[in-house]
Amino acid sequence: MKPYSKNVIGLLLLMGLMLPLAASGNKFFAFVLGMTFISLLWATGMNLMYGYVGLMPLMFAGVAGVAGYAMVHFTRTLGWSFWLAMPVASLLAAAVGVALGLPSLRLKGFYFTLCSLVIQTVLTLAFIFFPTYTNGDTGINQIAPPDWFGGELTGLGMDMALAVIALAGVIFCAWLVKTPLGQRFVAIREDDVLAEGLGIQVVRCKIIAFFIVSLYAGIGGCFYAAYVGFISPRAYDVLVSMNIWLFVAFGGRATIAGPIIGTAILAPIPFLLQDLQAFKDILSGVLIIVVTLMMPGGIYGAFVAWRSRQSQVASDGDKVQEQRV
Amino acid sequence: MKKTFFNPLAAAIALSAAALCTGGAQAQAGNPIKIGFVTELTGPWTFFGTSCVAGLKMATDEINKAGGVLKRPLEFIVTDNQTNSSQALAASRNLDVNDKVLALSGPTSSDVALAMYGYAEQQKLPFLVPVAAFPQLTKPGTKYTFRIEPDAAGWGYAMAKYIEQVKPGAKVALMHSDAALMRAIMAGFRYQAPRSKLTIVSDILFPQGSSDATVQAAQVRASNPDYVIVSGAGAFDNVLTNQLLDLGIKPQQIIHPYGITTQVFGWGSRSVGSIYGTFFDHGIDALTKEGKDFISRFDAANGRPPSYVENYCYVTPYIFKEAIEKAGTADDREKLRNALSALKTKEHTTGVPIEFDKNGARKEYMYFMEIQSVNGKRTYQSKQRYYIEWDPEVIPVYDLVK
Amino acid sequence: MTDAQLLILLSTLSTGLILGAIFSLVAAGVTIVYGCVWLPNASNGQFFLLAALVAWTFTASLGWSSWLAAIAVIILGIGLSYLLEWILIRRLYDTPNRNVAYFVVTLGITQIMTGVFSLTYAKWSDQFSLPPVIDGISMLGPFPIPNNRLLVMAVSLLVLVALFALLRYHPYGRALRAVFQNREAAALRGVDVRSIYRLSFVLGSTIIFLGGILFALAYSFDLTVAWTMSITAFAIMIIGGPGSVIGALVVGMTFGFTQAIVSIFASPTAATFSYLGAMLVILLFRPSGLFKR
Repeated sequence: MKPYSKNVIGLLLLMGLMLPLAASGNKFFAFVLGMTFISLLWATGMNLMYGYVGLMPLMFAGVAGVAGYAMVHFTRTLGWSFWLAMPVASLLAAAVGVALGLPSLRLKGFYFTLCSLVIQTVLTLAFIFFPTYTNGDTGINQIAPPDWFGGELTGLGMDMALAVIALAGVIFCAWLVKTPLGQRFVAIREDDVLAEGLGIQVVRCKIIAFFIVSLYAGIGGCFYAAYVGFISPRAYDVLVSMNIWLFVAFGGRATIAGPIIGTAILAPIPFLLQDLQAFKDILSGVLIIVVTLMMPGGIYGAFVAWRSRQSQVASDGDKVQEQRV
Repeated sequence: MKKTFFNPLAAAIALSAAALCTGGAQAQAGNPIKIGFVTELTGPWTFFGTSCVAGLKMATDEINKAGGVLKRPLEFIVTDNQTNSSQALAASRNLDVNDKVLALSGPTSSDVALAMYGYAEQQKLPFLVPVAAFPQLTKPGTKYTFRIEPDAAGWGYAMAKYIEQVKPGAKVALMHSDAALMRAIMAGFRYQAPRSKLTIVSDILFPQGSSDATVQAAQVRASNPDYVIVSGAGAFDNVLTNQLLDLGIKPQQIIHPYGITTQVFGWGSRSVGSIYGTFFDHGIDALTKEGKDFISRFDAANGRPPSYVENYCYVTPYIFKEAIEKAGTADDREKLRNALSALKTKEHTTGVPIEFDKNGARKEYMYFMEIQSVNGKRTYQSKQRYYIEWDPEVIPVYDLVK
Repeated sequence: MTDAQLLILLSTLSTGLILGAIFSLVAAGVTIVYGCVWLPNASNGQFFLLAALVAWTFTASLGWSSWLAAIAVIILGIGLSYLLEWILIRRLYDTPNRNVAYFVVTLGITQIMTGVFSLTYAKWSDQFSLPPVIDGISMLGPFPIPNNRLLVMAVSLLVLVALFALLRYHPYGRALRAVFQNREAAALRGVDVRSIYRLSFVLGSTIIFLGGILFALAYSFDLTVAWTMSITAFAIMIIGGPGSVIGALVVGMTFGFTQAIVSIFASPTAATFSYLGAMLVILLFRPSGLFKR
C-alpha cells in the first residue's frame, strides 16, 4: 500500500466537499448523498473492526442506536445543543460498546459474530421494551436538525457537515492503520495467540478497538437521527448492521478505498431504485453470497489483484526486452 | 494514484439511475393533479398496502372517467415504502421535491405514518392518512395531517360501550399481543371499563413471537368471564381464538376489536356468533347505492368482499376531490389544507359523516358485527349489532397513549 | 386440585410437549448440520417457513389434504436440499474457518428468501394455516384437546426418537459423528467424507422442513415466524451444545415448557430476555454448550 500523499488527501477532500454543492440543486439527491455520507462513516468504523481486527460486530447498529436515542434525550429533555449532545451521546455509546464487548473478548470468528448478533437482538428489544426512553416501536419523530448559530443546520450546510465528518472518519482510519496500534490490530487479526506471544496485549488492543469503532457507530447514529428526523428500533436493527457489513465486504475489507467504493455503489440503491424495491433483499442476498464465495477481497481487492497481474505481465515483458538487449 | 475515481463514479451512477426512474415525470403543473401515495407494497404490511391500492385505483378510475377534478385528471403516484420509515421519508421527500405533489397519502402502518407525519408537518404538506390508527397522528397542534380511520384507543372505548349496553356489569377477560396498536386499543378499553361498570377479570399480554396460547386460555377460562376480548393480529389471532374455543369458551363470548375480510376467513365457521368491530363491511345496515356498487365490483375483481381498509382507500380520492373543489384550486397546499379542515361531508359508500376536528382527527364511529356464516375463503355473512359515534377526545386519548 | 387448576396443568403439559418437540426438531436439524459439516445455518427459519408456505399452497390452491401436502413438501424438500448442496454448499467444504463463511452465506440465503416471500406470499395473505389432518376433540379428564394437535405431538416425538436412534445405532449415524470428531481419521478409515457431508445437510434440512409442516398443522402462522424460529433454534443449539442432538432435545423441551408456563409466573417480556441471557451466558462461559456432541 503506497503511503497517502498530501495531494491525494487534498484532492479527496475537495471532491467530497464538491459533491454536496453539485447535488444541492435537488433536495432528493442531496438527501441520498447525505445518507451515503452517514453510511460511509459507519462503513469505515465497521471496516476497522472487520477488516483490521478481524471480528464481525453485528451489534454495530445497536450501539449507533444507543447514541441516537441518547442524543435525542439530551436535546429534547435537557435542552442541550446538538454539538454538546452528540459527543456526549457518542462517548456514552462507546462506553456501552466496550461494556458489551468485554465479555466476548475471548471469542473469535463465528462465536464472536453469534454473540454480537445476540447482543444486537438484546439492544433492539431494549429499544422496544423501554418506551419511557425510546417511545418503543412507535419511534420518535420530528427530531430537530442540529442548531447552528441561532438557526438550524439544514440543506447544503448539513450536507457539507456530513461530508466533512465522513471524510474526517476516513482520514482518521487511514492514519490509524499506519500507526503501531493499527499494525497490532492486523497482527491480532492474523493470529491472536501468536500476537500475544509476541508481547502484544491483545485484550487491551481489542478494548481500544471496541471503543473507537463504537465511537464511529455512535457519531453516525446521532447524525442519522438529526438528519432523517425520525428514529425507531427498526432504524438501528440487525439488518442495518448487516448492510453496513456488506458495504465493507463488497467494496473490499481492510483497505481504505474499499468501504468508500462499497458505500458509494450500494448505499444509494434503496433510495434510487424505488420501483424495484422488492428486489433489494434478493439483490443484497445474492451479493453477500457472491462476495463470500468469489470475491473475498471485494471489488477493490479484485481490482488490485487484476492490476498486479497486469504489472506482472508488464514486468515480465520488460524482462524479456532487457534480455534481448 | 487512482484514489479519486469513485467520486465522479458515484455521482454518475446516481444521476443516471435518477434519469431512469424519474424519466416520465417531467410534466409538472401541466395537466394531472398529483398526489403522493406512499404505502406498503413490500415488507410485513404488504397485504394491507396492496389491498388499499386496489380500492384506490377503483375510485381514481371512476373519478377520472367522470371528468376528473376541476376538469383535470387526478393522479396518485403510488410508491412503495417497504413498511420502513426511512424509505417512507425518502419517498415523501422525493414526491415533495421532484414531483411537487399537492398532498401526501397512503400509509396503512402506523409506524410509517408517524414518520411521514413529521415530514408533512414540517414541510406544510397536507397529509391524509387513510388507514393507520395510532392516536399520535393527530396529537394537539397537528395542522396538516388528517386521519380518516378512528384512533385505536377509541376502538377500546367503543368496545366498552358495546358491552355495557348488551350486558351491564359484565366480566371481561383480555388477551392481546404486545404491539403498539393492541396497547392503544387496550388502553382505551381499560380507561372506559370502570366507567361503563365492567370488571376486568383477566388481563393477559403476549410478547411478539408467541405461538401458543393454550395455557393462557386455560387461565382465562378459570376466571369465568362473560366476554373475552381477543386481539392478536393476523395469524396469532386465529391461534388465540381457536385455543379458546377448544377449551370450551363459546364463540358468542368472543369479541375482536377489529376484523377485515381475510381475518374473518381465518376465524372460519367455528367463530359463528363472535363479534368484531369494523368501519365498513358488506353486512352493515346503512349502505348507499354507491357503497353496494363498490362492494359488488370489488368482489368481482378481487374474489372477496372489501373491508374497511379497501373502503378507506376507495373513499380517499373522493375526499380529495371534494376538498380540492371546495378550495377552488389544485395548486395551493394551504388552500387544500384549509378546505380539508373545514370539510363537512359524508362518506359516499355509507353515509357516515366525515368531519375533522382542530387536530385533524375525524369524528369517530364504529360498527359491531356478529358473524352469521363463513363460506370458505370466498365470502361470509355478518349482521350489524351496534353502531356508535363519538368525539375523539371523549377519552383523554393523547394522554393514554404516547 | 380444582378443575380449573387441573386444566391449567394439563394445558401446560400439552403446550410444553408440542412446542418443545417442534423446537427440538428444528434445533436438531440445525445442530446436525453444524456438528457434521460445520455449517451454522442462519436461514433455518426461512427453510422452516418455506415448508409451511408450500404446504399451504398445496392445500389452499390445489385443494390437497394436509397429509398429502406434507408428504409432497418433504419430497420436494429433499430435492431442494440436494440441489442447494450441489450448487452452493459443497464449494466451501475445504475452506478453513468455514463456519464464518457458511454463516455469512446463509445470511445471504436468508435475505434472498425474505425477498422472494415478500414478492409472493406476503401479497397473497397476511396469515396462513393448514386444515387439520384429523378432526374431533378428545377429553383428557376435564381438558379438551383437538385430535389434530395430539397427532402433531405424536409425530414430532416419534421423529425425534427415530432421529436419535439413527444417530446412535445406525452405521450412518456413527459415520457422521466420526467425521465431525476427526475428519482425517474418518477418511483414513474409509468413510467418504464428502458424501457424509451431503447426507447430513440433506438430513438436517429435511428435519427442519418437517418441523415447519408440523408447526403449520398445529398453528396459524405468518411470515414473522421465520425470524423467531431462527433465533430460537440457534439459542437452543448454542445452549445445548453445537453438534449434540441430546442437547437440542433437552434444551428444546425446556424452551417449550418455559414458553408454556411463563404467563403463570412472570411477564412475557422477561421470558424473551431470559433466554437471550441464557444464550449469552453459555457463549461466554461455556461455549461448548451443556452437552458434548
